[in-house]
Amino acid sequence: MELFNSESKKIISDPINVNNPISLQVLGICSALAVTIRLDQAIIMTLAVVFVLCSSNVILSLIRNYIPTRVRIVIMLSVIASLVSVVDELLKAYLYDMSKQLSVFVGLIITNCIIMGRAEAFALKHGPSKAFLDGLGNSMGYGLIIIIVSFFRELFGAGTITLPDGGAGYVLWSIPDSWYAAGYENIGLLVLSPGAFIILGLVIWIQREFAGVEEDA
Amino acid sequence: MYSNNYTLFFVFIVTVVLGTMLSFTKDNVKDLQDQNLKADVQKTILRSLNFEENLLASNESIEQTFKNYIDAKCVNIQGEIVNCNIEEVDIEKNEEVLPIYIRMNNNEIQGIALPVAGKGLWSTIFGYIALTPDTDSVLGIQFYKHGETPGLGGEVEKKWFTDNFVNHPLKKPNGEVKYVPKKIRDNSGKIVSIKVVKGGVDYSESNSASIHQVDGISGATVTADGVTDFLLEDLLRYEKTLDKIRDYGTI
Repeated sequence: MELFNSESKKIISDPINVNNPISLQVLGICSALAVTIRLDQAIIMTLAVVFVLCSSNVILSLIRNYIPTRVRIVIMLSVIASLVSVVDELLKAYLYDMSKQLSVFVGLIITNCIIMGRAEAFALKHGPSKAFLDGLGNSMGYGLIIIIVSFFRELFGAGTITLPDGGAGYVLWSIPDSWYAAGYENIGLLVLSPGAFIILGLVIWIQREFAGVEEDA
Repeated sequence: MYSNNYTLFFVFIVTVVLGTMLSFTKDNVKDLQDQNLKADVQKTILRSLNFEENLLASNESIEQTFKNYIDAKCVNIQGEIVNCNIEEVDIEKNEEVLPIYIRMNNNEIQGIALPVAGKGLWSTIFGYIALTPDTDSVLGIQFYKHGETPGLGGEVEKKWFTDNFVNHPLKKPNGEVKYVPKKIRDNSGKIVSIKVVKGGVDYSESNSASIHQVDGISGATVTADGVTDFLLEDLLRYEKTLDKIRDYGTI
């Protein structure tokens, strides 16, 4: 099996760039808006989605020839929901503070359109190794965007950059007090949902420009 | 086409496999989760009682601090101490046995934390309110468990909201503003609790009740009204106990 021939590379790089699930297909927006207030939340969310999407793609691809067509949606949903519950339980056990902050949004990975979408569109039609790469590519494409959005939201909205650690987050850098004294102010709007829309809109614009995507007229 | 029997069989197998996987996971992490939950409740109590954040960094230090400084006991509605298993008291429904957590330092009361719980919009909100030893003012308030909408009712657990309870701008005659905690008792000593006010608190001279009021959360009126209701209800259950502590310095 050639894992890294040009086709495999395309499977993994396309969703990160020219076919990004968030910025091109505009899927998974709900959680992209909700968990991008802080960088550490976005990073943990990305890891959770990487795990769920890769595993669900592989599992569904492995059993794809045995799934009765009539109940495939139910089967997909049960596999995804079980994986998400596992992630949720693990977070509660090992990253309790983070699981409190992410609250319902871990559970809502179940309804993230990217995951069902990839299962239906890709995993049920391809072998496990390709399905794994597709899952990895799509979840990283998702993660890349939410990490970029959360970086700007946290930096300009709250004035900090926080990385995940075992507890409430490790503050890597925060805007020095001297800046505030000199008249700098955080943009409160960015912490609220409209701020997420604005940043996400800008990211989508720049990303499409970068990927050279033309919208059909 | 797959036959009905095959379909049923397949679904059955998938359900069993996934169910096993889930229960296996839960079984393995349950102890850790319970520890986290217990530490989180203790952290909420300690935080409401104004302990330094560095004492609350890990589960171990939380447990240690709790053991060293907190005197946990139960009282009844008459203010008498009763026996109980404090961790198993149902805070929401229970009215017979009331838990109380006292911050002690050299046999002196430094603060009293009481559990409060009640309905918000979607869920029951759980928290602790801590009072000063004279049982007059709020030392701190913390909510640790709720299912309110993040960004709206969910803001009750945020610092900006809980800080409202300890930051009452008191205008001194010379025009300076001094921040004092909100009060749960009025001038005659009656427990009036704290009211969460829709919009914002009117801090003009004419509103003499502003010391018993805090700013509400926009978009979360039902949650705020819930907080107002259960704070009053729960504080009144402790009225006799609080009177005793105020008058005699002990229960």
